[in-house]
Amino acid sequence: MRCRQSDAMAWTFRFLEEIAMADVAFEAEGASVEEVFRGATQALIESMANPVTVAGGWERAIEWRDEDPSALLFDWLSEIVYWKDAAGVVFREAPLTLTHEGEVWLLRARLIGAPVDQQTQELHADVKGVTKHLYRVSQEGGRWKALVVLDI
Amino acid sequence: MKLNTQMTVNRITDEIWEIPTSEKPGMLVPARIYATRGILQAMDSGVFEQVTNVACLPGIRRYALCMPDGHWGYGFPIGGVAAFDAADGIISPGGVGYDINCGMRLIRTDLTLADVQPHLERLMTELFRAVPAGVGASGFVRLSGEEFGRVMTHGAKWCVERGYGWHRDLVRMEEGGCIEGADSSIVTDHAIKRGINQLGTLGSGNHYLEVQVVSNEGIFDPVTAAALGITGHEQIVVMVHCGSRGFGHQVASDYLKVFEQCMGRYGITVKDQQLACAPFRSPEGQEYFSAMNCAANTAFANRQVITHQIREVFATVFGRSAESLGMELVYDVAHNIAKVERYPEGELVVHRKGATRAFGPGSPELPEVFRTTGQPVICGGSMETGSYLLVGTDQAVRDTFGSTMHGAGRTMSRAQAKRTVRGAQLQQQMKQRGILVKAVSMSGLAEEAGLAYKDISEVVQSVDRAGITKKVAELRPIGNIKG
Repeated sequence: MRCRQSDAMAWTFRFLEEIAMADVAFEAEGASVEEVFRGATQALIESMANPVTVAGGWERAIEWRDEDPSALLFDWLSEIVYWKDAAGVVFREAPLTLTHEGEVWLLRARLIGAPVDQQTQELHADVKGVTKHLYRVSQEGGRWKALVVLDI
Repeated sequence: MKLNTQMTVNRITDEIWEIPTSEKPGMLVPARIYATRGILQAMDSGVFEQVTNVACLPGIRRYALCMPDGHWGYGFPIGGVAAFDAADGIISPGGVGYDINCGMRLIRTDLTLADVQPHLERLMTELFRAVPAGVGASGFVRLSGEEFGRVMTHGAKWCVERGYGWHRDLVRMEEGGCIEGADSSIVTDHAIKRGINQLGTLGSGNHYLEVQVVSNEGIFDPVTAAALGITGHEQIVVMVHCGSRGFGHQVASDYLKVFEQCMGRYGITVKDQQLACAPFRSPEGQEYFSAMNCAANTAFANRQVITHQIREVFATVFGRSAESLGMELVYDVAHNIAKVERYPEGELVVHRKGATRAFGPGSPELPEVFRTTGQPVICGGSMETGSYLLVGTDQAVRDTFGSTMHGAGRTMSRAQAKRTVRGAQLQQQMKQRGILVKAVSMSGLAEEAGLAYKDISEVVQSVDRAGITKKVAELRPIGNIKG
């Protein structure tokens, strides 16, 4: 289990070792859907590179809404994978807020990273896509959880 | 026999095992697994679950198949083969994979180990520089959107027209390196932006470029080997494993979403979201097929540009032209693709996901050059244990929709491999064993350790004994580049 305890930007996730033999699976969890979004985002970022070794400099602001938080998380994670290739970057962090307004969930995020640099960054896997295999966002025992399998 | 499933698995032969339709509600055909008893016993539970899910898809014919390198995938198992009636069956991105036309390419040379050994360090350094690998890597080819559209429709032919290869290369590729029916106007802007700068790059994961040796002892069929340009005597060959990169990955993502939304309209339900599909003849099915062909052609082009770079590096290091070094293509074959092929049942959409086409000498689809040998099949093992060159058989066409295995197949998760071995330590150990490895990511290197894979010799033995491919030569690694 990996977690960050700070109040404002808390996240928790763990990589699941025996689900996706050739790929990467993780479970994010939290007291709120927002915390699950943070955990899943952090897990994805760490799948591609050690964020500590990635400087800033490249940034995109993203604001999306959807009635279904599960679809919103899937699209958000897919967007991160898209920018990895489209801009040739890896990521340091992605501070985000998720609010529930009426029927709609609103995601406001900043994706922060830097162009890939094999000399200075600790690079991990080149994620191909976020899959729908076993994918779910659910509430269990008062905690929110997301299960995500990445194709590597 | 202890298996990782509660399902009934019946022995058909020592290499063929069948799960009857009674084992899962909705199965339209039995599932068949090609494996030795030992490999079958080691297969993870996901294989049995997933191959029987595939057997439930509309329009499936004969069997849902899994090859001996099969393991847990998403939707289809890796190693999965399924054929659907083109008239009333489906097409599914989950049966192709995210990396559309991920495939293998083998280049022969006239060089021997004695020629290469003194220059191996420089050779691998130069290859590592010339063929970008790893996360977010971009290639040297700069394309306009219009020109990238021509790559999508012309594949490796585009490369040869631009000087990245030889005309005679094209005959030694599945479909001549260019699949018809690719319409570049239907792919999304997202897909184009993800892939436009990646031509000539390897990627990461299990993708690699490998310098290998073929010894006399490693040749099982000297006549076929010679016909394919493999002569032994410590001959150097180069193997490339990669696919359509971000472009293909995005095409798959785009159409999984489309299919999820339209399945209900066609009355299709699936056992797993990742099996989202549409009738092949539906507008959505035809659009995906066309977009998939764009990605497949881009993958052929990707491997062709990499081949150009390999030839340039060899020419520089050895001070002779690539032609004078005998750097001819042996073959290029896809192992993540869906294709329309004709069988006794009629026109079928054959999905191969982590499985290779393996047409025998009698196949009219093969070019003249392979009419006596059968189609070459290139199977990549782990970077520590070696790979195989095989040929397809007429029996494969009869029994497995002309399909066979594609590699060793994993037997250990990436996380477990990383816990077991460290990348830097593995690199050092391999160097001591005569295999020079250049890697972008040390954690990625650890994930690809030989211990994480099945014994490729036993996997190859399964398909050889089953008669769906025949062994030609074993290829032993001496240098490897990984993302």
